[in-house]
Amino acid sequence: MHEMSIALEVGRILEDRIGLARLARVITVHLEVGAEAGVEFDSLQSSLDVVLTNTPFVQAKAEIQRVTGDALRVSHVEIIDDDPHY
Amino acid sequence: MTIHTIEIRERVMAKNDELAGDVRQRLAQHRVTALNLVSSPGSGKTTLLENTLARLGGQIQIAIVTGDVQTQNDADRLAKHTDKLVQAIVTGGACHLDARQILTALDRIDLTNTDLLFIENVGNLVCPASWDLGEHAKIVVFSVTEGEDKPLKYPKMFREARIAILNKIDLLPHLQFDLDVALANTREVNPELEVLLLSAATGEGMNEWCQLLLRSAKS
Repeated sequence: MHEMSIALEVGRILEDRIGLARLARVITVHLEVGAEAGVEFDSLQSSLDVVLTNTPFVQAKAEIQRVTGDALRVSHVEIIDDDPHY
Repeated sequence: MTIHTIEIRERVMAKNDELAGDVRQRLAQHRVTALNLVSSPGSGKTTLLENTLARLGGQIQIAIVTGDVQTQNDADRLAKHTDKLVQAIVTGGACHLDARQILTALDRIDLTNTDLLFIENVGNLVCPASWDLGEHAKIVVFSVTEGEDKPLKYPKMFREARIAILNKIDLLPHLQFDLDVALANTREVNPELEVLLLSAATGEGMNEWCQLLLRSAKS
Protein backbone atom coordinates (compact mmCIF):
# COMPACT_ATOMS: atom_id res chain seq x y z
CA MET A 1 0.00 0.00 0.00
CA HIS A 2 2.51 2.54 -1.24
CA GLU A 3 -0.24 5.09 -1.80
CA MET A 4 -1.53 4.78 1.76
CA SER A 5 1.99 5.50 3.03
CA ILE A 6 1.99 8.64 0.90
CA ALA A 7 -1.46 9.67 2.12
CA LEU A 8 -0.37 9.27 5.75
CA GLU A 9 2.75 11.30 5.02
CA VAL A 10 0.55 14.06 3.56
CA GLY A 11 -1.34 14.07 6.87
CA ARG A 12 1.92 14.31 8.82
CA ILE A 13 3.13 17.22 6.67
CA LEU A 14 -0.11 19.13 7.23
CA GLU A 15 -0.01 18.51 10.97
CA ASP A 16 3.54 19.79 11.02
CA ARG A 17 2.78 22.87 8.93
CA ILE A 18 -0.60 24.06 10.19
CA GLY A 19 -0.97 22.36 13.55
CA LEU A 20 -3.04 19.46 14.82
CA ALA A 21 -5.86 21.61 16.17
CA ARG A 22 -6.61 23.18 12.80
CA LEU A 23 -6.66 20.01 10.71
CA ALA A 24 -10.39 19.61 11.37
CA ARG A 25 -10.95 22.87 9.47
CA VAL A 26 -9.11 21.84 6.33
CA ILE A 27 -11.55 21.48 3.46
CA THR A 28 -9.29 20.90 0.45
CA VAL A 29 -5.76 19.60 0.06
CA HIS A 30 -4.11 20.26 -3.30
CA LEU A 31 -1.37 17.96 -4.49
CA GLU A 32 0.81 17.88 -7.59
CA VAL A 33 1.61 14.35 -8.74
CA GLY A 34 3.82 13.57 -11.69
CA ALA A 35 3.13 10.87 -14.24
CA GLU A 36 6.47 9.28 -13.28
CA ALA A 37 6.05 9.60 -9.52
CA GLY A 38 5.45 5.88 -9.16
CA VAL A 39 1.93 6.54 -7.92
CA GLU A 40 -1.35 5.07 -9.11
CA PHE A 41 -3.71 8.05 -9.11
CA ASP A 42 -6.96 6.29 -8.24
CA SER A 43 -5.28 4.39 -5.42
CA LEU A 44 -3.78 7.60 -4.05
CA GLN A 45 -7.14 9.35 -4.28
CA SER A 46 -8.79 6.48 -2.36
CA SER A 47 -6.09 6.51 0.31
CA LEU A 48 -6.36 10.29 0.70
CA ASP A 49 -10.14 9.98 0.97
CA VAL A 50 -9.63 7.68 3.97
CA VAL A 51 -6.97 9.80 5.67
CA LEU A 52 -8.63 13.18 5.09
CA THR A 53 -12.05 12.16 6.37
CA ASN A 54 -10.85 10.60 9.61
CA THR A 55 -9.53 12.14 12.80
CA PRO A 56 -7.81 14.57 13.10
CA PHE A 57 -9.31 15.60 9.76
CA VAL A 58 -13.08 15.84 9.38
CA GLN A 59 -14.21 17.00 5.98
CA ALA A 60 -11.20 17.48 3.75
CA LYS A 61 -11.01 16.31 0.18
CA ALA A 62 -7.98 15.91 -2.02
CA GLU A 63 -7.55 17.62 -5.37
CA ILE A 64 -4.78 15.98 -7.37
CA GLN A 65 -3.24 17.95 -10.20
CA ARG A 66 -1.45 15.72 -12.67
CA VAL A 67 1.88 17.15 -13.79
CA THR A 68 4.83 15.94 -15.82
CA GLY A 69 7.93 14.31 -14.35
CA ASP A 70 8.20 12.66 -10.95
CA ALA A 71 6.92 15.51 -8.76
CA LEU A 72 5.02 14.49 -5.64
CA ARG A 73 4.24 17.42 -3.40
CA VAL A 74 1.59 19.11 -1.31
CA SER A 75 0.87 22.40 -3.02
CA HIS A 76 -1.59 24.23 -0.76
CA VAL A 77 -4.64 23.75 1.42
CA GLU A 78 -7.90 25.60 1.87
CA ILE A 79 -9.04 25.97 5.42
CA ILE A 80 -12.12 27.41 7.09
CA ASP A 81 -11.03 29.84 9.71
CA ASP A 82 -13.25 31.73 12.17
CA ASP A 83 -10.51 34.12 13.06
CA PRO A 84 -10.87 37.10 10.69
CA HIS A 85 -7.39 38.29 11.59
CA TYR A 86 -5.70 35.09 10.55
CA MET B 1 -16.24 32.32 8.61
CA THR B 2 -13.57 32.71 5.95
CA ILE B 3 -11.81 30.32 3.64
CA HIS B 4 -8.07 30.84 3.63
CA THR B 5 -5.48 29.37 1.33
CA ILE B 6 -2.27 28.26 3.00
CA GLU B 7 0.75 27.58 0.82
CA ILE B 8 2.52 24.35 1.75
CA ARG B 9 4.82 23.58 -1.19
CA GLU B 10 6.47 20.59 0.42
CA ARG B 11 7.63 17.41 -1.24
CA VAL B 12 5.89 14.38 0.22
CA MET B 13 9.23 12.57 0.37
CA ALA B 14 11.01 15.43 2.12
CA LYS B 15 11.06 13.79 5.56
CA ASN B 16 12.18 10.45 4.16
CA ASP B 17 14.94 12.18 2.22
CA GLU B 18 16.07 14.00 5.38
CA LEU B 19 16.33 10.65 7.19
CA ALA B 20 18.10 9.14 4.18
CA GLY B 21 20.64 11.91 4.61
CA ASP B 22 21.13 10.80 8.21
CA VAL B 23 21.68 7.22 6.99
CA ARG B 24 24.22 8.46 4.46
CA GLN B 25 26.06 10.42 7.10
CA ARG B 26 26.32 7.43 9.45
CA LEU B 27 27.52 5.18 6.65
CA ALA B 28 30.13 7.76 5.66
CA GLN B 29 31.39 8.05 9.25
CA HIS B 30 32.18 4.33 9.19
CA ARG B 31 33.17 4.17 5.50
CA VAL B 32 30.47 1.61 4.77
CA THR B 33 29.19 1.15 1.22
CA ALA B 34 25.46 0.41 1.07
CA LEU B 35 23.76 -1.25 -1.89
CA ASN B 36 19.99 -1.49 -2.19
CA LEU B 37 18.88 -4.64 -4.03
CA VAL B 38 15.50 -4.18 -5.69
CA SER B 39 13.54 -6.60 -7.82
CA SER B 40 10.21 -8.30 -8.34
CA PRO B 41 9.47 -11.27 -6.04
CA GLY B 42 11.31 -14.44 -7.01
CA SER B 43 14.08 -12.88 -9.09
CA GLY B 44 16.74 -14.53 -6.94
CA LYS B 45 17.97 -11.74 -4.66
CA THR B 46 18.37 -14.00 -1.65
CA THR B 47 20.16 -16.73 -3.61
CA LEU B 48 22.44 -14.05 -5.05
CA LEU B 49 23.26 -12.86 -1.54
CA GLU B 50 23.81 -16.41 -0.28
CA ASN B 51 26.30 -17.06 -3.06
CA THR B 52 27.91 -13.65 -2.52
CA LEU B 53 28.38 -14.31 1.19
CA ALA B 54 29.89 -17.72 0.44
CA ARG B 55 32.43 -16.14 -1.92
CA LEU B 56 33.27 -12.87 -0.16
CA GLY B 57 32.48 -13.55 3.48
CA GLY B 58 36.15 -14.30 4.21
CA GLN B 59 37.44 -11.19 2.43
CA ILE B 60 35.20 -8.35 3.53
CA GLN B 61 32.74 -7.77 6.34
CA ILE B 62 29.19 -7.85 4.95
CA ALA B 63 26.05 -6.92 6.85
CA ILE B 64 22.56 -7.35 5.49
CA VAL B 65 19.17 -5.77 6.11
CA THR B 66 16.31 -7.73 4.61
CA GLY B 67 12.79 -6.46 4.06
CA ASP B 68 9.77 -8.66 3.63
CA VAL B 69 6.06 -8.07 3.89
CA GLN B 70 5.73 -11.14 6.11
CA THR B 71 8.12 -13.77 7.54
CA GLN B 72 11.83 -13.40 8.12
CA ASN B 73 12.62 -16.38 5.88
CA ASP B 74 15.19 -14.48 3.84
CA ALA B 75 17.05 -13.31 6.95
CA ASP B 76 17.04 -16.86 8.32
CA ARG B 77 18.44 -18.20 5.05
CA LEU B 78 21.20 -15.61 4.97
CA ALA B 79 22.09 -15.99 8.64
CA LYS B 80 23.29 -19.52 7.86
CA HIS B 81 26.07 -18.02 5.75
CA THR B 82 27.37 -15.31 8.06
CA ASP B 83 27.87 -14.56 11.71
CA LYS B 84 27.41 -10.89 10.93
CA LEU B 85 24.06 -9.49 11.88
CA VAL B 86 21.31 -10.07 9.38
CA GLN B 87 18.65 -7.62 10.38
CA ALA B 88 15.13 -8.50 9.26
CA ILE B 89 12.47 -5.85 8.75
CA VAL B 90 8.97 -7.28 8.46
CA THR B 91 6.97 -4.46 6.93
CA GLY B 92 3.58 -5.96 7.82
CA GLY B 93 2.02 -5.00 4.51
CA ALA B 94 4.08 -2.05 3.33
CA CYS B 95 5.47 -2.61 -0.15
CA HIS B 96 8.85 -0.95 0.35
CA LEU B 97 11.46 -0.09 2.96
CA ASP B 98 11.88 3.53 4.02
CA ALA B 99 14.81 5.50 5.40
CA ARG B 100 13.52 5.47 8.98
CA GLN B 101 13.53 1.66 8.99
CA ILE B 102 17.11 1.60 7.75
CA LEU B 103 18.19 4.16 10.34
CA THR B 104 16.68 1.96 13.07
CA ALA B 105 18.32 -1.15 11.62
CA LEU B 106 21.73 0.56 11.62
CA ASP B 107 21.51 0.85 15.42
CA ARG B 108 21.82 -2.93 15.59
CA ILE B 109 24.67 -3.30 13.13
CA ASP B 110 28.33 -3.05 14.11
CA LEU B 111 29.22 -0.50 11.45
CA THR B 112 32.79 -0.19 12.71
CA ASN B 113 33.38 -3.74 11.54
CA THR B 114 31.37 -3.55 8.34
CA ASP B 115 32.68 -2.87 4.84
CA LEU B 116 29.59 -3.50 2.80
CA LEU B 117 25.90 -3.28 3.66
CA PHE B 118 23.29 -4.95 1.51
CA ILE B 119 19.69 -3.84 1.78
CA GLU B 120 17.46 -6.54 0.34
CA ASN B 121 14.32 -4.55 -0.37
CA VAL B 122 10.77 -5.88 -0.51
CA GLY B 123 10.13 -7.70 -3.80
CA ASN B 124 8.44 -4.97 -5.83
CA LEU B 125 9.61 -3.07 -8.91
CA VAL B 126 7.38 -0.04 -8.35
CA CYS B 127 7.43 1.48 -4.87
CA PRO B 128 11.08 0.99 -3.79
CA ALA B 129 12.13 3.15 -6.75
CA SER B 130 10.64 6.20 -5.03
CA TRP B 131 12.22 5.81 -1.59
CA ASP B 132 15.76 6.98 -0.95
CA LEU B 133 17.26 4.80 1.78
CA GLY B 134 20.59 6.60 1.96
CA GLU B 135 22.19 3.89 -0.15
CA HIS B 136 25.11 4.48 -2.50
CA ALA B 137 23.35 2.70 -5.36
CA LYS B 138 20.26 0.76 -6.24
CA ILE B 139 20.92 -2.53 -7.98
CA VAL B 140 17.96 -3.91 -9.88
CA VAL B 141 17.78 -7.69 -10.25
CA PHE B 142 15.57 -9.28 -12.89
CA SER B 143 15.61 -12.78 -14.25
CA VAL B 144 15.15 -14.51 -17.57
CA THR B 145 11.94 -16.14 -16.35
CA GLU B 146 10.27 -12.72 -16.08
CA GLY B 147 10.19 -11.65 -19.72
CA GLU B 148 12.26 -9.23 -21.78
CA ASP B 149 9.99 -6.26 -21.22
CA LYS B 150 10.61 -5.72 -17.50
CA PRO B 151 12.68 -2.54 -18.12
CA LEU B 152 9.91 -1.09 -20.30
CA LYS B 153 7.21 -1.94 -17.77
CA TYR B 154 9.12 -0.52 -14.80
CA PRO B 155 11.22 2.31 -16.30
CA LYS B 156 11.55 4.35 -13.10
CA MET B 157 13.25 1.48 -11.30
CA PHE B 158 15.65 0.83 -14.17
CA ARG B 159 16.40 4.55 -14.41
CA GLU B 160 17.08 4.83 -10.67
CA ALA B 161 19.43 1.82 -10.67
CA ARG B 162 23.14 2.05 -11.32
CA ILE B 163 23.58 -1.66 -12.07
CA ALA B 164 21.17 -4.28 -13.44
CA ILE B 165 21.69 -7.97 -12.83
CA LEU B 166 20.01 -10.35 -15.25
CA ASN B 167 19.81 -13.51 -13.18
CA LYS B 168 19.08 -17.19 -13.90
CA ILE B 169 20.88 -17.18 -17.26
CA ASP B 170 21.49 -20.92 -16.80
CA LEU B 171 17.82 -21.33 -17.72
CA LEU B 172 18.15 -19.57 -21.09
CA PRO B 173 18.32 -22.82 -23.15
CA HIS B 174 14.96 -23.84 -21.73
CA LEU B 175 13.10 -20.57 -22.28
CA GLN B 176 11.85 -18.45 -25.15
CA PHE B 177 13.69 -15.44 -23.77
CA ASP B 178 15.37 -13.13 -26.27
CA LEU B 179 18.49 -11.84 -24.52
CA ASP B 180 19.22 -9.24 -27.19
CA VAL B 181 15.73 -7.77 -26.85
CA ALA B 182 16.05 -7.65 -23.06
CA LEU B 183 19.39 -5.84 -23.29
CA ALA B 184 18.04 -3.44 -25.92
CA ASN B 185 15.07 -2.66 -23.68
CA THR B 186 17.41 -2.00 -20.78
CA ARG B 187 19.54 0.36 -22.87
CA GLU B 188 16.44 2.13 -24.17
CA VAL B 189 15.33 2.97 -20.65
CA ASN B 190 18.76 3.72 -19.21
CA PRO B 191 21.73 3.82 -21.61
CA GLU B 192 24.15 4.27 -18.69
CA LEU B 193 23.02 1.16 -16.84
CA GLU B 194 25.71 -1.48 -16.39
CA VAL B 195 24.22 -4.94 -16.95
CA LEU B 196 25.70 -8.11 -15.47
CA LEU B 197 24.58 -11.50 -16.72
CA LEU B 198 24.79 -14.18 -14.09
CA SER B 199 23.33 -17.23 -12.48
CA ALA B 200 23.35 -17.10 -8.71
CA ALA B 201 22.45 -20.80 -8.69
CA THR B 202 25.33 -22.09 -10.85
CA GLY B 203 27.84 -19.34 -10.15
CA GLU B 204 28.20 -18.18 -13.75
CA GLY B 205 29.03 -14.46 -13.80
CA MET B 206 29.55 -14.35 -10.04
CA ASN B 207 33.27 -13.54 -10.32
CA GLU B 208 32.58 -10.29 -12.16
CA TRP B 209 29.88 -9.40 -9.62
CA CYS B 210 32.20 -10.08 -6.69
CA GLN B 211 35.03 -8.06 -8.23
CA LEU B 212 32.63 -5.16 -8.61
CA LEU B 213 31.63 -5.49 -4.95
CA LEU B 214 35.24 -5.62 -3.77
CA ARG B 215 35.97 -2.42 -5.68
CA SER B 216 32.84 -0.78 -4.21
CA ALA B 217 33.64 -1.85 -0.67
CA LYS B 218 37.13 -0.41 -0.80
CA SER B 219 36.27 2.82 -2.61
